[in-house]
Amino acid sequence: MDSDHKFLMTRIAGGDRQALAALYRALERPVYKFIVSRLNDPHEANDILHEVFMDVWRSADRFEGRSKVQTWIFGIAYRKSIDVMRKRGRVDLTDDSFEQVDDSPDAVTCLAAGQEADHVRHCIGTLKDDHRSAITLAFYQDMTYAEIAKVAGVPEGTIKTRIFHAKKLLMRCLSGRVERGVA
Amino acid sequence: MSYSRDDIEALLPFYANGTLEGADRAAVEAALETDAELRADLAALQAIRQTMQAEEVASPGDFGLARLMRDVEAETPVTAPPAAANDDVVPVTRLRLWQTAAAVILAVGLGVNLLPGPGDAPETGRSIATDEAPTTEEGFSLASGGAPDFTIAFAPDAREAEIRALLLQAGVEITQGPSALGLYGLSLLDSVSDETARPILANSGIVDDLQ
Repeated sequence: MDSDHKFLMTRIAGGDRQALAALYRALERPVYKFIVSRLNDPHEANDILHEVFMDVWRSADRFEGRSKVQTWIFGIAYRKSIDVMRKRGRVDLTDDSFEQVDDSPDAVTCLAAGQEADHVRHCIGTLKDDHRSAITLAFYQDMTYAEIAKVAGVPEGTIKTRIFHAKKLLMRCLSGRVERGVA
Repeated sequence: MSYSRDDIEALLPFYANGTLEGADRAAVEAALETDAELRADLAALQAIRQTMQAEEVASPGDFGLARLMRDVEAETPVTAPPAAANDDVVPVTRLRLWQTAAAVILAVGLGVNLLPGPGDAPETGRSIATDEAPTTEEGFSLASGGAPDFTIAFAPDAREAEIRALLLQAGVEITQGPSALGLYGLSLLDSVSDETARPILANSGIVDDLQ
């Protein structure tokens, strides 16, 4: 798969618009899903997605092939999303301090109780951006922690820490909704 | 390397998504064998992942692609075609399809109404704007313009995706409009005849008026 993407990148660097269209078709949906999960605004996400692929077109010749094409493109999307959030005035760029949270291992019960998607969507939405991005890339895109670190431009250990906290907060949120009987 | 309980918990989501390898994977598997709470966490994470992946998101799709191609084309210097030009040229038919989608995007993006408002003119005698400029206050005309083959008004509740699908199915593109009355001019794509396109448009549930 990535070799196909790299081939397309080479073509795009040479000015091949059809290669750009092919790459767009291959990655548009996951990249959009990632952006919209961060911005929670479909219209703004449309614009960012557009800008991401315009950047791909303009800078394909600078892609050195040291990472996956997907990782490189998600990195562009990640940075552009941060720019948007900065403009909005709400971004938590680092949040790696330890947070005391309750361990509530009953989240499985929550997920078995119906409304799974609503619960998960709500609880993902309560996470801070760094946490939400890490979880989204891990579960929507099935990325490794090394890949997520490249996308976010931080050390791998930072991603592990973010995932650690995100997981705890997510479990607590899901269990809390079950205990409160949120439909 | 020794793994603390926190290390294992941090790695657990990557075990759940199947990307963990080597020593990390072995350490998590060893911990799972002896820790029921960890196994419960894993089951929850797998369920969360499954739920997240099953969630459908309506991405821009072909509309986004049309917008991208339009802007890429606008950026490409006319005097500097790519070296291996022949296989880089987008087929005319495909370009026109992109233009069709781009036209709808423009209409939606400009926030125009697809139908006349309550105070608009009576049904007879309506005409679409015929401005030749690419964009005007009352709509736009594509460079490929000329007299449109059809004049159309879409239903007020017609969705962007439905309009796009109808245009593609009928083999037409928006070349003029919207007028102040919300009318669009449609032109036939290459190799599509009036006899083919008209019944498709006329029988569509999202078309209020076709001339």
